[in-house]
Amino acid sequence: MTAVGANVQRSDGEAKVRGEAVFGVDLAVARMLHARLFRAPVAAGLIRRIDTSAARASDGVHDVVSGADIQNQRAGVAVFDTPLFATDYIAYEGEPIAAVVADTPELAEAALRRIEIEIDEVAPIATPEQALSPGARLVHPSWAEFGTVGGIDFGAHGNMVAEIFSDPGDVEAAFEQADLVVEGTYSTPRQYQAYLEPKMALATYEGGRYTVQVSHQYPFRVRDRLAQVLDVPKSAIRIVGHHIGGGFGAKLDLGLEAYAAVLARRTGRPIKMVNLPDEERLTAPCRENAVVKIRSALRNDGTILAQDVDVVFDSGAYANNGPAGASIPMFMYASIYRVGTARIRSRMAYTNTAPTGAFRGVSGPYLVFAAERHMDQIANELGRDRREYRLATLASDGHKMRNGQALEELSILHKAFELVEARAPWSDQGADQEADQDTDQNGEKLRGIGIAAAVWLTNPQPGQATVKLNEDGGIIIVTAATDSGSGAVTTGLRQIAAECLGLSADHVAVTMPDTDVAGFDAGSQGSRTTHVAGRAVFDATSEVRRRVLETAAGMLEAAKEDLLIEDGIVRVAGVPDMSLSLGQVAMAATFSKGPIVATASYTTPPPPHDPELTKGMLFNTWPTPTYHVHLAEVEVDPVTGKVTVARYVIAQEVGRAINPDAVMGQVVGGVAQGLGYTLWERMEIEDGRYVQRNFETHGLPLACDMPKIETILMEHPEPAGPYGAKGAAEPSIVPVAAVIANAVSDAIGAPIDSIPITPEAVLDALQSLEHGVSG
Amino acid sequence: MTADQTITIQCTVNGEAHALAVAPGETLLQTLRNRLWLTGTKEGCLEGECGACTVLVDDVPVDACIMATGAVDGRDIRTVEGLSDKERLSPLQQALLDHAAVQCGFCTPGLLMTLTALLEQQPSPSPAEVEAALAGNLCRCTGYRQIIDAVMAVAEEQRP
Repeated sequence: MTAVGANVQRSDGEAKVRGEAVFGVDLAVARMLHARLFRAPVAAGLIRRIDTSAARASDGVHDVVSGADIQNQRAGVAVFDTPLFATDYIAYEGEPIAAVVADTPELAEAALRRIEIEIDEVAPIATPEQALSPGARLVHPSWAEFGTVGGIDFGAHGNMVAEIFSDPGDVEAAFEQADLVVEGTYSTPRQYQAYLEPKMALATYEGGRYTVQVSHQYPFRVRDRLAQVLDVPKSAIRIVGHHIGGGFGAKLDLGLEAYAAVLARRTGRPIKMVNLPDEERLTAPCRENAVVKIRSALRNDGTILAQDVDVVFDSGAYANNGPAGASIPMFMYASIYRVGTARIRSRMAYTNTAPTGAFRGVSGPYLVFAAERHMDQIANELGRDRREYRLATLASDGHKMRNGQALEELSILHKAFELVEARAPWSDQGADQEADQDTDQNGEKLRGIGIAAAVWLTNPQPGQATVKLNEDGGIIIVTAATDSGSGAVTTGLRQIAAECLGLSADHVAVTMPDTDVAGFDAGSQGSRTTHVAGRAVFDATSEVRRRVLETAAGMLEAAKEDLLIEDGIVRVAGVPDMSLSLGQVAMAATFSKGPIVATASYTTPPPPHDPELTKGMLFNTWPTPTYHVHLAEVEVDPVTGKVTVARYVIAQEVGRAINPDAVMGQVVGGVAQGLGYTLWERMEIEDGRYVQRNFETHGLPLACDMPKIETILMEHPEPAGPYGAKGAAEPSIVPVAAVIANAVSDAIGAPIDSIPITPEAVLDALQSLEHGVSG
Repeated sequence: MTADQTITIQCTVNGEAHALAVAPGETLLQTLRNRLWLTGTKEGCLEGECGACTVLVDDVPVDACIMATGAVDGRDIRTVEGLSDKERLSPLQQALLDHAAVQCGFCTPGLLMTLTALLEQQPSPSPAEVEAALAGNLCRCTGYRQIIDAVMAVAEEQRP
């Protein structure tokens, strides 16, 4: 093996460091006009009147559109609840109400200010608790008429978008047998993806077809959703992708594409749209705020007899793909630990806030935060060492999750605990707590340690690749897979093809996505590209290889079995001067049977499971699991409340690292986002509106904030993956909040069950501890 | 915009002299991207926080999104497009690639300018000095580690 396992450089790297790479926002075409959206200035209200006549008469304006001017039916990924424009009522601040097309973005902006609107503001439904309380005003009075994908019943009712549950019926009985019941409530805020390139779209309408140029993680989703929103055939839409300035899940569903397409058709001119930074922040599909309640029935020996889990998520004003995220508790609870029986209820509520959506790890970071804070809580109540208690409770190979799916390789998780232990020996600070409290008088830092484990998935959705051998021996991979930064396309897919065909990755190029040209691909989500699109590339390249050998065998008058391919040369084994270049073989094929091209597809088959065990799931199984243990040591300044991460160690199972440097970049990048979520970033909501409205107040991690991350990559090749690869990019964010909160709670001797763990939160916890002790 | 509202300025951009008639309030970022088609400099937050628009004005990193073009009259501007010739990348550009320090790449032009200025001022920075220099450049993808490794490798190579 040469290409796989090497740190091959990304094929778009040189263009990116030279500033030559054209991102979506950099695009321009002839005759292009610019459009901007008029967005709701309040979180909730009734629209009494909208007057666009002054805007229409404004300088350089070509068109002004509101909901009354177009077909504006509700649509969506999971629930068909979202109109293009609000017409009767406003469901969140920033919701589009009208659009203006003008010669320049500045003229469009000037015209926007001349739109007159009268709104009867109403008190927003600001929290899920409020939304689900009896008698609450309905965010969408017509909720009962909303269709769903495939007609699935998500258990919607009133402000409840989805209610997904699993109840084996024996949980209450187990609680009656308990020696001890431990319960906790764990709450987490929103998190903004904070990609740097704003959402954009550049649409043209020509000859009855729409072409939309995007920087988007999932071009085929754009095609399919545009077909739904515009009510036109999928074949009337072409999506062309460009470099993506970060996405992290925020660029998986429609953004501005439908508006640009509608306006391009109306005006007969190409329409470019780019969100301003404040529009981005108001409307990005943030990770949802959530509250998780867990009750555990325990025996004195630490055996968990049952768990009762209740998760409430904030969907915001529309559902997006929420029911998928709301399915994930079924895999995060009663999965890696033996908990006897478990009842899990997952509810997602409409509120008058910006719709939430996908962010790296989707619901994982807060579900694992709750699960692993709870494990610490149980261990502390039992007086057990927190690591030892986890090991004693960890399930073994074949353990079944709530959906009936067996985790066949849980022993990898046991191994991960051992590897972390070898790197950073565990010493539970719990027993030293009193000593710590004493030293704090001398201004010394409080030290704590935390550990957490998780299982994560590799998204199974389909991918297709076409691999072409050019007549100079070069390879082109045609795919709609996207690279929003991970290198999965620009290094991984190229390395897989190179390895398979026995040549250097330098000879392998990969296309940008174009839905007219490439087969379906489900986009950069859930770490799927290397595993799923990579498998399609492997299978297609294997067929290319077969055809090369077949053609070369005829040319060299040798048996196929006697041929080998090395460094782009086909040789007859043991006959040094009998050889052909791949280019010669390709040329011969092109002018005889036809060019050497092959197409292959892959979708991860769903693991065996029992659909009767859960209700309302959009996401039924947990395919291609990977295993993760994180450990953190922190220092807490008892005077300022500042938390410093002194050490961070990860054991992450990746199947096979196709490009170790690229995997490391994903691991460290994911931890950075996790640390931001846990310690620094703020995305607070007051009365339905975001409080932090720029980077200055937001608190993204800076270079000086980042600790050294010690990463142990565990390779455990997965037979279905290309060269054994599983997903690697997404999961490092998942255990971070849990492990840091566990370490801080250990350091200060008081539970931290909500994030962000700001200095104020730490000081409050220390203060309540003092009060508790003195009282 | 009528002609009499524009002001004419002279400046050099990547070594090339320009005379530009600019509108009052036009930012250096707008001038570079929309007039000179130097789209390597990125538009991020438009409030001087993210650093994606960092360029060098007389060798000092500035956020082009909040600098008026009128203020660069007579000054020397460098952008990412001026960092290398057609054949060879600058040592810093090459190091970012060698250390897998480029992911989505949207912050890359801005941080290259900040780090180029750092290495011109301080050829042997400590990791803490590199981190401090990057305080005005947000990168959401990498967690910064591979970027800092790349800068340290260049500093090491340039050490006399």
